[in-house]
Amino acid sequence: MNLSFSNFKSTLYKNYGENPGRMLVHTGVLGWILSSLAQISAVLVNDKLSPEQKSFLVPQEFADAAVNIISFYVITNSLKNFASKLVSTGKLTTPHIKEFLAKNNFISKNPNTKDKVGNMDFDISKVANFDEISTDYKNFKNGVDVVASTLGSILSCNIVTPILRNNFAAREQKKIIDRNGYTKKNSVERPRGITMNEFQNNVYQKYSGSMRI
Amino acid sequence: MAAVGSIYTRFTNSNFYQSMHKGVKNFEQSFYNAIPNFQFKNKKTIDTFDKIGQKISSAENRLILGATALMSQPFIDASNKSVDEDTRKVSVARTIAKIVVGTTTGFLIRKGCIKLIKSSSKLENSVDKFGKKIKLDKFNTFFSPKGVKSDKTEAYSQYQNALGTIVALVVMMITNFAIDAPLTKLLTNKLVSKIDQRKTEGKKSS
Repeated sequence: MNLSFSNFKSTLYKNYGENPGRMLVHTGVLGWILSSLAQISAVLVNDKLSPEQKSFLVPQEFADAAVNIISFYVITNSLKNFASKLVSTGKLTTPHIKEFLAKNNFISKNPNTKDKVGNMDFDISKVANFDEISTDYKNFKNGVDVVASTLGSILSCNIVTPILRNNFAAREQKKIIDRNGYTKKNSVERPRGITMNEFQNNVYQKYSGSMRI
Repeated sequence: MAAVGSIYTRFTNSNFYQSMHKGVKNFEQSFYNAIPNFQFKNKKTIDTFDKIGQKISSAENRLILGATALMSQPFIDASNKSVDEDTRKVSVARTIAKIVVGTTTGFLIRKGCIKLIKSSSKLENSVDKFGKKIKLDKFNTFFSPKGVKSDKTEAYSQYQNALGTIVALVVMMITNFAIDAPLTKLLTNKLVSKIDQRKTEGKKSS
């Protein structure tokens, strides 16, 4: 137990110590997972729901969780990796990094010869004299990574996920209406015969596209 | 298992795979070549990137997410024509309340947990705010990883942020129900009654 906690701390230090962008993506995914687990547990321990209702709601929450987690991970991670690649291949630079690349002949002076910079396999951090710019490069790259991760989470949490979830919810709602044979209405109305307080409780319990934790 | 490995190796060595792989790589590279090179020349911009990498932890990230959510989600709800006016009103109020409460608790708990981790992950070279060497005990070294010598590095600070965030996420599984849910309900009620009040005043004045 003690050894595994120690390993856990070392792994965390090795993986996130020099990669805050990756940390934001991974903890964001963990946030969505725990948020979804909390939501599923809330359904499971709710005495007011019948076992039949639970058997419908739990898979629905799982599907919801999958939409949220996958869209967050795919969008945020792709954007972060793309930004990372731009920096590591030298497409996105600072004067100091560019000067280093030119000095070490990674930027060709002859316009007919191909530059190493901009090649997808090129990685500044793997070149021989990397130590010369290591601090500047790492600081710049971490900053770009964090900006890209933050933009990715804004895009996924505030735009893409709510749209995906709304589509999913609308489809689910249509399925229920079709199954129960309700009369189709053009708009969703506030349920009659319950207090506003009860209604708000219900809408809070119903999960939405925004992260709850 | 060895047979599967051998089939895989033969497949990846085949001419078909090699030419496909080369084709995909060339396509990726041509797409990548179309992106222009860019150099940040302004020193202030470069310093800002450096600072963002060092200072933005998950707590600040949550604050940014909340602020941008407040600028987009209530408007999405307000323009949702597939629900009646009453539902729309409650939905906008609930969204605002949820974002405000969720962001506030999310930010404070993350910040608090990161602070807690920082105070319990001291190392041999740790000093207090007066520059005095800290006496290490099992409480202030509980979260210190083995083999790390200095807490002054950027990497160590990011480690503390990561661990603090993980602890915060577990804490928030409870506070989500214990604090967020009742506070959201309270704020939603207040916002709804304010909207109603404004509507009544508007009708009276017209």
